[in-house]
Amino acid sequence: MSDKPTTSLKDKLFSTIEHEKLQPRSRLFFQCKECSMWLLWLASVLVGALAVAVSLFVVAHRQYALYEATHENFLTFMVQVLPYLWFVMFGLMVVAAWYNFRQTKRGYRYSLVSIIVSSMLVSLALGAALQLLGFGYLADTTLGQQLDMYMSQEKIERQLWQQPEDGRLLGTYAGQVDAATSTVWLIDTAGTKWQIIATDLFPRDQALLRSEQPVRVLGASTGTSSKQFHACGVFPWMMDASITREDLDRERRDFVKKVYDQKYRAEDRLRLLEGDTFGNPSSGQRMDMGVCAELAAVRRIEASMQ
Amino acid sequence: MDEQQVTDAQIVQQALLNKERFGVLMDRYEAPLARYIARLGIRNPDDQQDVLQDIFLKVYRNLNGFDQQLKFSSWIYRIAHNEAISSYRKKNVRPEGHLIADSEELLSFAAGNLDSAEMQFDQTLNADVIRSGLQALDPKYSQVLVLRYFEHKEYEEISDILQIPTGSVGTLIHRGKKQLARVINTDTVRI
Repeated sequence: MSDKPTTSLKDKLFSTIEHEKLQPRSRLFFQCKECSMWLLWLASVLVGALAVAVSLFVVAHRQYALYEATHENFLTFMVQVLPYLWFVMFGLMVVAAWYNFRQTKRGYRYSLVSIIVSSMLVSLALGAALQLLGFGYLADTTLGQQLDMYMSQEKIERQLWQQPEDGRLLGTYAGQVDAATSTVWLIDTAGTKWQIIATDLFPRDQALLRSEQPVRVLGASTGTSSKQFHACGVFPWMMDASITREDLDRERRDFVKKVYDQKYRAEDRLRLLEGDTFGNPSSGQRMDMGVCAELAAVRRIEASMQ
Repeated sequence: MDEQQVTDAQIVQQALLNKERFGVLMDRYEAPLARYIARLGIRNPDDQQDVLQDIFLKVYRNLNGFDQQLKFSSWIYRIAHNEAISSYRKKNVRPEGHLIADSEELLSFAAGNLDSAEMQFDQTLNADVIRSGLQALDPKYSQVLVLRYFEHKEYEEISDILQIPTGSVGTLIHRGKKQLARVINTDTVRI
């Protein structure tokens, strides 16, 4: 190997430069390249932050208050509602952030772990801030409105509560059927008009049902041919950015209390019915007492409490 | 000012205004880069010339992309490294068994760097054994060992050339030396 440079290489190179009219690339080219890598890194971190914000919104604001009404137990509830799409998105964005950072001028000097951990921390911190500012809710609902394929929390919640055959109905009050009874009309989200038998509802639930606000009704579909629904509990529609964790906790306490109240009221009625049957005519007519006591939600709450 | 005292970074600035000055950089780096790419496995003189030309053309085209905070030698070695790798990738061949260094260099490397506890044959050690041991190493180890012990680069320079974290350079050197000692021991036993 010779240490003396060959002049021919230099001549060849200059002749190529002359012949092909080569010029050094402009400084702006390199500045733009560096900038674009940083922007791509920033974009990855921001999308990652959005994924964190929506995930936090879903986990913190998920309608866990009434999970016994919709799922067998908390595990099946969580398995169905966790925002996997956003978890995957967050993972992909962390990888993209690492890749883009690695392409910056001095990105190679940092270890894989330090780039990934720092990108994750930035995304987590930004995501938490975005969630506090309401962007988690905004992103989720906006995507839900714009993309048919995207299942926003609102869509999932609507789907879960528009299940009359499973004892759940989502709708709005549409008037009194008959002044003499507690039966009212309710139009569900599919546009179907239901007769709601409200005899077992507590006064507060009765008022909520008649509030003309969207409500969730827990009960049982009773009419075979007509659309009739026996209501056992009424809950406000709570898909809103302003709903706080405290609201959800309160909602859960109310739900458990309502279910217990329904159960014990049913037991009281059973005693009354026994009296009727075995010679204590304390009640004038046979009461429809089984529906609310036999709700799956009541059974599940009892099981979880035991 | 004496030409020898002009730094590479200054010549880069001059070459951006007057391309003839680029010849000074070529004079300074042609021989070391030829030796380096040979160590990376490009032995054929014609191939070497082609790769060297590609390296210098790339350097010229990217003069404005040179980060003044790096050493110019690290930057040009990085380009040389990448060009050498892409050259044998283009030809779809593994690097040939290559001349890592001359015998004296190899023996001085072994004496100074291989742990004697791991070397049970230092009396019988010869340059050929070390050479074939280095060639048998995983390229990620042989590349750092070549840069550290035959090109005499600092850890930070190796980090800039290979574009890996400085911490990884130390780890690779340590593991590379261990693997080399193992390979050499096995070879010696076989001999």
